[in-house]
Amino acid sequence: MRQNERLEIFEKLRAKYSVFLLSVLWKLTGDRELFTEAMQYTLMGMWEHIDKLNGRQAGAYIYRIALSSNSRAWRNRIGRNGDFARSRIDIEADPGEKLGRVELTVKVRKAISRLPEKQGRAIVMRYLEQHDYETISEKLCCTKASARSHVSKALAALKEKLATSA
Amino acid sequence: MNNDNIEEILKNIGEEEIPADVHKIAQETSNNFSSSLQRTKQSKQHILLEQIMKSRITKLAAAAVIFIAVIAGLPLLDSKQGVALADVLAKIEQVRAFMYRTKMTMTGAVMSGRPDMKIQTDATVTISNDYGMKMEMVMTDANSGKEEMTQKMYIIPDQKLMISLMPKHKKYMRMEFDDDLLASMKRQNNDPREMIKQIMGSEYTELGRSVIDGIDVEGFHTTDPAFYGGAVENVECTLWVDVEEWLPVRTEMDFKMNEQMQMQGVIYDFQWDIPVVASDFEPVIPDDYTAFATEGMKMPSITEEAALEGLKFFAEITGQYPKKLNLVNLMQEFSAIKNNKNQTDAGMKLKEEMDRGQIDERTKKLTETIVKVQSIGMFYMTLIQNKKEPAYYGETVGPEDTDAVLLRWKISDNEYRIIFGDLSVGNVTAEELARLEKPL
Repeated sequence: MRQNERLEIFEKLRAKYSVFLLSVLWKLTGDRELFTEAMQYTLMGMWEHIDKLNGRQAGAYIYRIALSSNSRAWRNRIGRNGDFARSRIDIEADPGEKLGRVELTVKVRKAISRLPEKQGRAIVMRYLEQHDYETISEKLCCTKASARSHVSKALAALKEKLATSA
Repeated sequence: MNNDNIEEILKNIGEEEIPADVHKIAQETSNNFSSSLQRTKQSKQHILLEQIMKSRITKLAAAAVIFIAVIAGLPLLDSKQGVALADVLAKIEQVRAFMYRTKMTMTGAVMSGRPDMKIQTDATVTISNDYGMKMEMVMTDANSGKEEMTQKMYIIPDQKLMISLMPKHKKYMRMEFDDDLLASMKRQNNDPREMIKQIMGSEYTELGRSVIDGIDVEGFHTTDPAFYGGAVENVECTLWVDVEEWLPVRTEMDFKMNEQMQMQGVIYDFQWDIPVVASDFEPVIPDDYTAFATEGMKMPSITEEAALEGLKFFAEITGQYPKKLNLVNLMQEFSAIKNNKNQTDAGMKLKEEMDRGQIDERTKKLTETIVKVQSIGMFYMTLIQNKKEPAYYGETVGPEDTDAVLLRWKISDNEYRIIFGDLSVGNVTAEELARLEKPL
């Protein structure tokens, strides 16, 4: 593919998925630094795989790129443990929200970043994007029952990860 | 935690509103990336930003340099990262280990009324993506040739720890970095991503081809003061890049630190992909070295809270707020208290504490003090770097001006955060701010 063509496709995708990336990556990170990193990883991933993104499957690919970018951003967090300093949480939290709650939310986000790709997608679609099971089943190309099963398994995996990280 | 709890948290996350500034961050990140693609040469299209983002070590290095400035009492602003284009930095970050040398010359009076001096700092820096950073530094009085300080510094990223050895004094010290500082440093000019954003967003000029040490190079020149967080003036910075390897060959910089001081420097002798082993980055503290008085201290925080504490401290000691918030001026103003005839009680007490005790105790006190003061400047630098439209009125607003705006910055499209003269804080609309700032 020629360079101009690649750039043209990239620009179209960038415009088309900007709202999606903003929403999903912010909800997955909840932190400006992580968000920026995840966004940059995603754009990089899109550019690197631009040849594959010129078709009907582009949306699914970008979804995967975004989730893996989120995981990488969390993994690479300074200190490698992915924890936030308490003071940082204090500053950024809604003053009305209790610290414990905020910390728990951070842990949940961190745990999502460690889920296998398919489970991560199921959680994101169901809860972060608030899709119904019909939509999820369409996006995952499976039946509604399978979609429910994916979400259920993902929740169990999430619970396990949170238990082990506690 | 049961599934219900998790589901509830997940639902809450799903319902979260996206803050306005995050929309802006997303837009900028996306636009910057797109611009970098458009502007990058075809053969260099793979801008491996993932590598750029692994630049933890360079961030730590930057923080460490600030620390050295703290200890030396001379705020040497870090400029060793230089400026670069996306692909140059990407290429650097693909290199597992590299080293370079720097030569910085600072001329002028450290404090008003003091004689001019000329201090030269020579450093050799080795950076490994795997193991950390090591810097050997010698500060020399360029007029007398007298060696003022030698230091070996190690940054251990995994432990968020800096260890510094001072052979001349047979001392060592350890300092921890906190996440806040590191995160903030990313937004400072020392973070390559931020640098890239800035240079791409600024009016840098391409100087064309030249030859340095027999290497064909291409030059990029900027005069954008934002590279140094607005802390210095008359910035002139030139990066020369090897056109074949697309790696830096030399960086030259020249800027005014304040009215009295000028800094000139060069980064040179880059060596890429050098072989390193873990032990190269593991400091060995000789048995006869003793811990520096600052043992266990933390780097200054860069938060609103720390800035408020710093301003309060400054006012208690000097009876006024700093006139300017750039690091050099801050230190000069604060250092001048010992010559100030109209000292506050707290200032007198601090001076007495500084004058008595053993060298270690005095150094510790000095460092604690400087860290507090530097927090203000570093917070202000962060605001500039983040383009939060900060404005500071320390020259006209004092602690007695309770309702006057001392410092303000933008927090959303139509909202500003204000620190008032009495150090209370609040948020106001742009219209309200205009009303408040009218008398200033």
